[in-house]
Amino acid sequence: MTESQELHELREAIAGLREEIEGRWMRSGAPPADEDPEGAVGAARGEREAPGVLDGLAAEIRARASEVDWLGLFNELRRRFAGFGIAEGGTEIDDFGLDPAYLEQRRGWLDFLFERWWRIETAGTELIPSGERLLFVSNRSGVLPYDGLMIAHAVERAAGAESRPRFLVADWLLGVPFSAGLLSRLGGVRACAENAERLLRTGRHVIAFPEGQKGALKPFSDRYQLQRFARGGFVSIAVRERATIVPVAVVGAEEVHPILFQSSFAERLLGVPLPVTPTFPWLGPLGLVPLPSRWRIRFGAPIRFADVPPECAADPLYVNRTREIVRGTVRTLLEQEVRGRSSVF
Amino acid sequence: MASAAEGRGVPRRVAITGLDTFAGLHTAERLLDWPQPPEIVGIDLRSPRRLEGRVGLHRVDLTEPTADSQVAEILEKERCDTLLHAGFLSHSHSDRSYAHELEVIGTLHVMNAAASAGVRKLVVLSTAEVYGPSPYNPGYLTESCELRPHPDSHMARDRAEMEQLLGLFADRHPQVVVTVLRPCWVIGPTIDSRVLRHFESARVTTLLGYDPLLQWLHESDLLDAIERVLRRDARGPYNLAGAGALPVSTLLRLAGKRARRVPHSVLQRLGYAGTLWSDGDAPAGFYDYLRFPWLVDVTRAREELGFEPEYSTKEAWMSFVVSRRLRRYR
Repeated sequence: MTESQELHELREAIAGLREEIEGRWMRSGAPPADEDPEGAVGAARGEREAPGVLDGLAAEIRARASEVDWLGLFNELRRRFAGFGIAEGGTEIDDFGLDPAYLEQRRGWLDFLFERWWRIETAGTELIPSGERLLFVSNRSGVLPYDGLMIAHAVERAAGAESRPRFLVADWLLGVPFSAGLLSRLGGVRACAENAERLLRTGRHVIAFPEGQKGALKPFSDRYQLQRFARGGFVSIAVRERATIVPVAVVGAEEVHPILFQSSFAERLLGVPLPVTPTFPWLGPLGLVPLPSRWRIRFGAPIRFADVPPECAADPLYVNRTREIVRGTVRTLLEQEVRGRSSVF
Repeated sequence: MASAAEGRGVPRRVAITGLDTFAGLHTAERLLDWPQPPEIVGIDLRSPRRLEGRVGLHRVDLTEPTADSQVAEILEKERCDTLLHAGFLSHSHSDRSYAHELEVIGTLHVMNAAASAGVRKLVVLSTAEVYGPSPYNPGYLTESCELRPHPDSHMARDRAEMEQLLGLFADRHPQVVVTVLRPCWVIGPTIDSRVLRHFESARVTTLLGYDPLLQWLHESDLLDAIERVLRRDARGPYNLAGAGALPVSTLLRLAGKRARRVPHSVLQRLGYAGTLWSDGDAPAGFYDYLRFPWLVDVTRAREELGFEPEYSTKEAWMSFVVSRRLRRYR
């Protein structure tokens, strides 16, 4: 008995408080912020509710709703979405789609990623030669080409805007909606020999990832295990175009998207590789946000081909041997850096 | 003109098939403006009114089974040394088999007639669409790249088949100088084509999430290139395009046009109905040319023909936009 009496008193006290609060709201002119929670209190309050409160609320909502330009909002959202990575930028665009104005607009973002998100430290930038055609050769890591973007940014910060290199991007990424427009505006170029040669010939530096797909989509357990360097096409290009190879090791980028496994079913369904990470695809687009690991980008001593006769570009044995030398250099840099760091974050 | 090679190449009597097409008509006018104009023989179904009295016309339907002997007879009678084959469709024809008859079989007739009449030079107008759009294309396609026209675009497929036949013909008849021009999309104040119809409206349908670079060739630069290959001997294919390339979105922004971005899957599912709803004139396969890059490298034309386009891609596009805007106020 005493228990139910206590309960009754408690209910009345709550109802009284509620009434007072609502009264104050009415006087101050602001509507109640949210609906009452369901339950015993709500049921008890039902009869005592002043009808004016609810009506006022409904009228308020109706008035506000008619103020909102729903069609305009819809159109705006649609425009924003459809123009993602497309609608902004300048009208001076280079022959591979790099948009300097767009890059300038995004510089704040790139600096944020570089300085705050990944806290990138660079080493060996003094080894980057000037006045030569440069072919940066790096380990590939992470699914999205953040590493290329960041190496380009590191070179630009060290050697000036005119020496910003272009990074090569896997084909499948360029067939995915929205990514081709975005990547090419930021300096990405489809990875193929013709493009790399054309870029070098017209005086632009190139970042190549000879590991290719194998490197980008290797599982987390294989991190920093340098995969094979394709067939050494990059050596032929460097010899033919008289370019200097600069080995680069990127440490930290392998942790931005730790790949658990590859979904071959999804790959067959979508036609593009679908790596599964702890966050992707579970969190949807949010899963694409890279983890904030700490990065180090280390540049190695340049390898020159000035005294190599051009015929060597077509000599498979020479190409193979040089490819392994470059791979060994990148691996040494990588191992030193991995051993030297204390923590992933 | 001073060089010996050019002196040998300069034509005296030129036959033009497809005189009533843009390229045929304007090339004829340009040749008539030469200090020593060559004799021009027109072959088409209709005569353009602007050339009446200046150019003799022979009416031949290239889709007829006996067109080859008719053309051969004309070429022999008129003693033509050069033949410009421009008799192609500028708009996609709804009748696929007719289009195939005209573009492939018609060209077969023309080249066989040229060989039997002893024509020294054969210039054929193809298109860069024969390379086909693909995310796997290199940034710039050279003449040695494989022809992979879009499977749905029967126009590009017909041209590619025609080029294949022409390649075999050139191997079999080394005495004939066979030149193929592969211009990218041609644009300008007077030319009309299905592609330009698409870009004429104030809202242009493009694909959601795709924004490839496009090249344009100005109409006067196309005529300039034709004139160049008529003057000097050049064998094989030549890509033609204006300098520079711009993304579709930038082109529309420059023109103050709005984009209607439609997902590719929607256009694909709706198929022909979808293209009717968006643009009556855009044929199947057209949208993939707005989806993936198919840029061409013009190094060969520049080095061997001395081809320097007067209009860059941007200037050609702006000349089109301005002229169409003025046309609306006329």
